[in-house]
Amino acid sequence: MPKTAPSMPPSQVLFLTSYRREIGARGGYDEMLDITGKVRPDWQPFVEEMARLTPADRDALSDRIDRRIRRTGITFDIFADPSKSQQQWRLDPAPVIISADEWAFLERALTQRARLFDAALADFYGAQRTLRDGTVPPDLVFADRSFVRACRNALPSEGQITFYAADLARGADGGWRIIDNHTETPAGLGFVLANRVVHSENMGEVFNHCNVIRLADHFHRLRNALAERARRDSPRIALLTPGAHHPDYFSHGYLARYLGYLLVEGSDLIVKGSDLYLKTLEGLREVDLVVRCTDGRFVDPLELEPNGFLGPAGLLRASRKSPALIANTIGSGLAQNRGLGEFLPALSRKLLGEDLLLPDTRRRWLGDDTNRRYVLANLDTLFIRKTQEGTGRPGQAALGENPAHLSDEKRKVLAADIALHGSTLVAEERIHFSTAPSITPDGPVPRPFAVRVFIARTEDGFRAMPGGLAMTIDPENAVALSAPDGHTRDVWILSNDRQNPHVSLWRPTLEAARVQRSQRVIQSRVADDLFWLGRYCERLDWTLRVMRSALRRSNDDNGPSTGRYAARLCLEALLTPRSDDPDYLKHITSARELDTLVGLVRNDTKATRSILASCRGLHRVAYMTRDRLSLEAWRTLGRFDPADTWLRALTATDEPATLLDVIDDGLAAVSSFTGLAHENMTRNFGWSFLDMGRRLERAFHLSEAILTLFVPNPGGEEEQSRLLLLLELADSFITYRSRYRLDPLLPLVLDLLLLDDANPRSLAFQLAALTRHMSSLPGSAAGRAPADDRRIVDELAAALRVADVEDIAASQSAENLGALMRRQLRLLPEFSDKLSRHYFNLADETPHRVHTRNSPTHDL
Amino acid sequence: MIFDISHRTHYRYSQPVAQSQHVAHMLPRATPHQVVLSSALRVDPAPDLRSETIDSYGNQVTILDIDTPHEELVLHATSHVKTSLPPPIAAAPRSSWTTALVNGPRLPDGTLDLETIQFRSPSRFTPLSPAIADYASPSFADDASIHDVAMDITRRIFRDFRFDASATDVSTPIEFVLRERRGVCQDFAHLALACLRSRRIPARYVSGYILTRPAPGQPKLQGADASHAWISVWSTDNGWRDFDPTNGIAVGEEHVTVAYGADYFDVAPITGVLLGGGDHSVTVEVDVTPVG
Repeated sequence: MPKTAPSMPPSQVLFLTSYRREIGARGGYDEMLDITGKVRPDWQPFVEEMARLTPADRDALSDRIDRRIRRTGITFDIFADPSKSQQQWRLDPAPVIISADEWAFLERALTQRARLFDAALADFYGAQRTLRDGTVPPDLVFADRSFVRACRNALPSEGQITFYAADLARGADGGWRIIDNHTETPAGLGFVLANRVVHSENMGEVFNHCNVIRLADHFHRLRNALAERARRDSPRIALLTPGAHHPDYFSHGYLARYLGYLLVEGSDLIVKGSDLYLKTLEGLREVDLVVRCTDGRFVDPLELEPNGFLGPAGLLRASRKSPALIANTIGSGLAQNRGLGEFLPALSRKLLGEDLLLPDTRRRWLGDDTNRRYVLANLDTLFIRKTQEGTGRPGQAALGENPAHLSDEKRKVLAADIALHGSTLVAEERIHFSTAPSITPDGPVPRPFAVRVFIARTEDGFRAMPGGLAMTIDPENAVALSAPDGHTRDVWILSNDRQNPHVSLWRPTLEAARVQRSQRVIQSRVADDLFWLGRYCERLDWTLRVMRSALRRSNDDNGPSTGRYAARLCLEALLTPRSDDPDYLKHITSARELDTLVGLVRNDTKATRSILASCRGLHRVAYMTRDRLSLEAWRTLGRFDPADTWLRALTATDEPATLLDVIDDGLAAVSSFTGLAHENMTRNFGWSFLDMGRRLERAFHLSEAILTLFVPNPGGEEEQSRLLLLLELADSFITYRSRYRLDPLLPLVLDLLLLDDANPRSLAFQLAALTRHMSSLPGSAAGRAPADDRRIVDELAAALRVADVEDIAASQSAENLGALMRRQLRLLPEFSDKLSRHYFNLADETPHRVHTRNSPTHDL
Repeated sequence: MIFDISHRTHYRYSQPVAQSQHVAHMLPRATPHQVVLSSALRVDPAPDLRSETIDSYGNQVTILDIDTPHEELVLHATSHVKTSLPPPIAAAPRSSWTTALVNGPRLPDGTLDLETIQFRSPSRFTPLSPAIADYASPSFADDASIHDVAMDITRRIFRDFRFDASATDVSTPIEFVLRERRGVCQDFAHLALACLRSRRIPARYVSGYILTRPAPGQPKLQGADASHAWISVWSTDNGWRDFDPTNGIAVGEEHVTVAYGADYFDVAPITGVLLGGGDHSVTVEVDVTPVG
């Protein structure tokens, strides 16, 4: 072993003092320090770099990483209660460092394991030789719901497994053990990528100094292998996610983006004949390969779980026709059955002719009589756990039942459970977890961890991704990767060779770029979400403007002193139209102070257009369209995450000056997003729908405000104050002043806001934009009869074209103006409706199931 | 006996179905005691895709895709089937259920008989629970053979449970059936399977028909107006033998097997996934006529 520096600099001594003390007290294996308290050589560069930082520097580093994590949006379960700390994803500045030699062994062992599982699955779903001869007890397979019998004998020659992940813990003896296997889905691969991007950005110097192997090359090889599996030039590859409500959606989205694949949900796909298609705005497009991030049992409601709509009906049939269609294959989760552990050495000799290099942690399968007897006699020292735990969400392994803590009554129940359900249970012993440093304000502290390592089938066979996801676990209760507090660490694999500067798949080659471009089709569902993203943004913008104008008029001495009533009308309009609750209406009209109404518009739960409601909606659709937005755009919208500080600041105060500041911040964020979208988004159909959503909402609010304020026209000073308010809301005051240098006059204001198609805030401008988008959409080819949505836009635009400002502004009752505005307010929602039906209906419609039972069909 | 069988299922939808996909188990399979002389499935409207396959149990499966909008769907299966009585039960000495299946069952070459073993694990519709194990327990006398046990469970379910088509639907858990003591043939078959599988006896679900027009003077059996379900139980002494818990009898030649599997889910006569369609109603007509 190389020597550690004989005379350690004082900064390092100081850095390690308390860590040493704690390790001494705790015992067990530590990753950074050896048994004598010396820094292990592979950690030396890291310790040197970290010791050089002052405690304040280290704090700042932690903060920086925290902020980046939040900005990147790494999280479990986006829709979970944000107040619960367990949903927080944290990344420690300290990595777990694994040496080149140790990694070489791990890679050999884990790729052997991947080959073994692949061969085992091929046997279980094929000839079942190893079940017939008892190498693996058949009940273990037949009792496992992950065994999808309908997949028998549909084996792709390209293999069952593309993605395999192993959870590892280091024993007290320094040897690694596999504590769980994941063969169902990529099991959180996106999280590791995101962690690495954040970590390498913030640990730049330390990272380079340590000569860490980069990840990009691995993914490059993986992508080549998948392209080959798809058997087509420029294949269309889709990553199938359960959807935005799945806690690991972030990981799915990040991985899809990184690999340049489409992120799709079950409802985006359809099987016709025996082929798989994607529903896009332009019609059906064939899908060549699916990277499956969903539980395989729920991907075909026709042949598999009847309530499983995570894939399209008929997917199994499509995969029988093209067995390589889905990676991992449906049913691949069978190999991760924990009960298999004790049979793996024999299975390895039988199927591979090799000795198993790295065993599983000691587990006893309770379908076996001998095991059952042993376990029932030794309950107190064991944990009882299920053989299967689904898709392998990182850190979410169940803790398992430790009978030592159970009452006699519960022990009896457990014993009965073991007797009945032994085939789906294992018993395992407590295991040792090694410690590694976590950087805290007080310096490094040792914390026990387990690590997930990812193996993939690449163009040169199975390879381990040089990295991993280490998570802090509670060694008292965990026997697997159970990390409810979300504390993670990057895993650095050191290289003996000098590593090249950073390459990333984010910067694709020209060839890859061509592939990417051809893949950028828009799913109907995504178009729908982008349409609503546009709508929510504009709605938020308008509502904030109304609030701002109202607050300025209510208290501020510097603002316009009149116009309170006008502001009140606009606030009421935002609150009322969709509430048919008479009590609520009374509640609104009885509010004396403008501030009260502003409060309601801000966060009243009954107001459908409240800021709170818009933020929720905006956040939801933004999240679901994330892979279509630039990172900056996503970060900008992050402000409107209901869990973010902005909304909390907005609701925390009723003090007008503070509120105005927060509102201005919000408006700046909306316009910054609009600007980013305008500047950075590709002008494809997705962009069209985003913009149409915005135009539609703007047209609606403007029409509503004009109707509210000027039908009928109050005349006199009140008319003046209303005109000022309208110009303010429509952000056209400056334009008006520079053009007319007059106090506002109704005909001139109406000309500017209704008819002037050069004013981007005018109604005419919105309708012209809608018309333009409609003409560019698929299915709008010349010669065909225009669809309903197009007809409505044409009708609205025509009504506006023939309007005469003098005429509509003339009479005090403003009948013509009222008719014109009411027509807009009636037809715009109808347009939205028709547009949805025209372009999104494929995504909207949910399939349902029918069946007949073996009995009189009385109840059907 | 030889039977003419007609099984007609008619769906009517309140709104057009844009696209439908169905999987049907409606064409009878061959068994050691049954020969299918002829069979056909007519579908109206004509499907855009139709494929006939054999599933991993050896059942006939028809897969149908209809891409053209339709407001009705008729599946009409007709068949001509010859059944025969199973051979008499093996004479004594018969092995006790406690020892009959130790280390087995195995094939003549000494390897494990997976086609049988696969049916002793619990399945979706036959989850095990202490309540079910308790209910099953009295039938497992130490000296009883597997045949005795199966016959006893069959008779007890017939005695303890009331046939009531309104008490359950296709997804009612057997726990509920056990508590309420009511259900239909499908529920009773599942319950009997769970009882047997609680002691790891291989047992499978059978979907099929029984004679709808009994001989003069004979009572009409329950389940005759529709497709029926019962169970099949494996023992070293007798191989696969069928029992009908709904009627409390061992199966003779008046039952016609369509398909078998781990439970209803594997062999449902028709399952489908529809786009559109609104509400639907369905009528099922089954006619089983002895012709020789």
